[in-house]
Amino acid sequence: MTKKYIFILLSLIILNSNSLISKEINIYSHRQPFLINPFLEAFTAETGIKTNIVYSKTGLAERLQAEGANSPADLILTVDIARLYIYRDKDLLASIDSSLLKANIPSYLRSDDNTWFGLSKRARVIIVNKDRVNFDEIKKIEDLSNPKWKGRICSRPGSHVYNRALMASIIAANGEVEAEKWAEGLVLNLARRPQGNDRAQVKAIYEGQCDIAIINNYYFGKLKFSEDPKQREWTKNLKLIFPNQEKGDRGSHVNISGGGVVKFSKNKKEAIALLEYLTSETAQKLYGKINFEYPVNPSVESSEELNSWGVFREDRIPIVNIAKLAPLAQKIIDRSGW
Amino acid sequence: MSSWNIWSVPVVIISLIIIAPVLAIFYSAFLGDTTLWPHLFETVLPRYTFNTLILMLGVGGLSLVFGVSSAWVVTRYNFPLKFLFEWALLLPAAVPAYIIAYTYTDIFEYAGPFQGVLRDTFGWSSASDYWFPDIRSMGGAILVMSSVLYPYIYLMTRASFLTIPVSFYQTSQIHGRNTFWLVALPLARPGIVAGLALVLMETISDFGTVDYFALETLTLGVFNVWMGMNSLSGAAQISSVLFIIVVILLTIEYLARRNQRFHEKSSGQNNLEEENISNLKKFKCISICLVPIILGFVIPVSVLGNFVFRGFSIINFYEIIQTTLSSIGLAFVGAIFVMLISLLMILVSNYKSNTLQKSIIFLASCGYAFPGTILAVGIVVFVGWLNDNIYFHFSYFAGGFLILIFAYTTRFLAVGNGAIRSGILRVHPNLMDANKTMGIGFFTGIRKLIIPLIYTNILVGGILVFVDILKELPITLLLRPFNFETLATYVYQYASDELLEESSFAALIIILAGLGPVIFLSNTIKNISKKKQSNIV
Repeated sequence: MTKKYIFILLSLIILNSNSLISKEINIYSHRQPFLINPFLEAFTAETGIKTNIVYSKTGLAERLQAEGANSPADLILTVDIARLYIYRDKDLLASIDSSLLKANIPSYLRSDDNTWFGLSKRARVIIVNKDRVNFDEIKKIEDLSNPKWKGRICSRPGSHVYNRALMASIIAANGEVEAEKWAEGLVLNLARRPQGNDRAQVKAIYEGQCDIAIINNYYFGKLKFSEDPKQREWTKNLKLIFPNQEKGDRGSHVNISGGGVVKFSKNKKEAIALLEYLTSETAQKLYGKINFEYPVNPSVESSEELNSWGVFREDRIPIVNIAKLAPLAQKIIDRSGW
Repeated sequence: MSSWNIWSVPVVIISLIIIAPVLAIFYSAFLGDTTLWPHLFETVLPRYTFNTLILMLGVGGLSLVFGVSSAWVVTRYNFPLKFLFEWALLLPAAVPAYIIAYTYTDIFEYAGPFQGVLRDTFGWSSASDYWFPDIRSMGGAILVMSSVLYPYIYLMTRASFLTIPVSFYQTSQIHGRNTFWLVALPLARPGIVAGLALVLMETISDFGTVDYFALETLTLGVFNVWMGMNSLSGAAQISSVLFIIVVILLTIEYLARRNQRFHEKSSGQNNLEEENISNLKKFKCISICLVPIILGFVIPVSVLGNFVFRGFSIINFYEIIQTTLSSIGLAFVGAIFVMLISLLMILVSNYKSNTLQKSIIFLASCGYAFPGTILAVGIVVFVGWLNDNIYFHFSYFAGGFLILIFAYTTRFLAVGNGAIRSGILRVHPNLMDANKTMGIGFFTGIRKLIIPLIYTNILVGGILVFVDILKELPITLLLRPFNFETLATYVYQYASDELLEESSFAALIIILAGLGPVIFLSNTIKNISKKKQSNIV
């Protein structure tokens, strides 16, 4: 009798584990494969759930929308709030119930209807050359429109998603009129026509074309630890300024990378499992290790390297407002010519 | 002209299916909100349009200079290394525009080696000591884009030069007239214009270069509106401005050509004797060939090669070989499919269609001028709609490939059509009539007579499409099945994170994979066009 029970028990386990192994989820990702694969590999190793991925920077929301109920996708991953919110706006995401996600992610970094969730934070920071700029003179992002920096600031075009989000955060804090004045002031201070990417701004400081630039914090790390000795050289003499840190000020603007489960997903359980995994301590630490991003999970410490650049307080505005203000931000950017 | 018949009806239907994604874009343009227009008109639209036109003018002009001059000297004159230049002039075609912009910036910006050498040579110490043109500018964009786009013109012009009856050249020489301006150029016009049209459409739809150089063209505007204002309809509306520009262009081209004939009536000696020239002239010829090759090939390849050499690039051989094979396979199947459709369309349009049918077929190739991502969204919308009405029972994987091939057809039909049309224009219309009098059917006539005559053009088109698909990024990126990478998407995941160095090995492979067909093409044109000529009576 016991043998029989053991046999049944064993076969149940085998069957179960088989069905676990054969589970797959399909991901539409705005995050590059080489930046997300380490997470997915760890997830598969831990759960046995296989992952398939399509990466594109643009158009995945439209693809998902057009595919509708026929879509093979289970999960979407983005690298900024604006694109994340577009999925919600088009009603493409399922509202999911996960106490773990709620516990691991502060409420201002996830949607109130449980459709999307922030998974990591990236700070938009000011970077200056220590020799040429008295960095005590820059305390706030607003300071960059001060005429005393005329001809000394570099930036990528305002229409880039990260600058647009920054613009939105300024609108949220100071109102449309003040925000537009700020943009106009900033444009007057630019050392050159907005161009290139964030790395190119750091390079421009190194070359002496300008002294101050606005970049995402992780590019500093990528350059500092670049394989290319020339790029490592660029980061010498630089100081990262986390703006708006003074008492009573709102804190630095952060953006999130995030994700959500597709409304018509056939594998919701597994997709939720991946989201939960991404907020776990292991994965949250991996964000810092792989890409110099900050954890969203308050119980996880930022990496030592990140902390060595400066500990900062972030703007705790509900991040959804940044997405909602993006169209207005783009209009101001168009008008000011940033 | 024949009206609706067994040939024209299916071809018109195919054309409509191919246009459908473009129509889907228009549909969303006019369905959506139009409230953005006043803002766009007031702020950015005039600037975008102006910049786009300047860019087209510049790239069109410079590509013409590079393409036509080099095609002429290698066809007409005898000079050292000519055998090398004949195919080397095609090499830049294999370099994707989104890569060349990065590499040029790397070389010519302040910290790049070029200005470094200048500073060392002249003892300048900082940027304020001297003036150097900014590579990330309109001029820079015109230079880099022309350097990789001129091969379209070179290829089609050269094919035309080679097939102009030698007697024409001889006549002009006997009278001491300028052969180039009075004979070659006017007679090669269908080829030149076909190449120019492709260059201009590529220019309009380019995103990689204008994005990196931050040039505010209509295409960049499309993205700002789409992503920034979360308005696909606004983006589609700007795209329709692009579309109008293209239709105007193509119509001008069509009208200008309408009343002229280019078909050959040659007989007698057909091998064009290459002219022997003085040393000074030889030097000039070599320079004419070297400049575009250096700009479009040597510079970008040496930057990439340097990255690889210094060990910055990620070299995962297994992954890259696999990716290369799938890229080549996809491009091959895509090119064959596009050329079959092109051939069918142009032949039917030429011999079996009335004006209305011709215009529909003509419009089917306009997908080339749309920014790739927007076109991809049009395809997604169209296929989604189709799927809602007629559910396909394909697996996602197989379905994904079918959609990709369809997308490439919508995108690159213009390339195939351009190549074939410039061939058909040189075929005397009486040939098919002569067929008819002998009681030979349309299909047999085409197979036995026309196809051998335009074989070179089919090959030219096919290889251009092949290389185009190999380089194609935005459509493949969005429409591909899960876990499927082409070389272009593989490169892009790094390039989009500002990591050109890491992607340089794969980028070199794209170029290498395009080289084989390009060299093959060059030889074939040379051989076949001569053989063909001597076979025609």
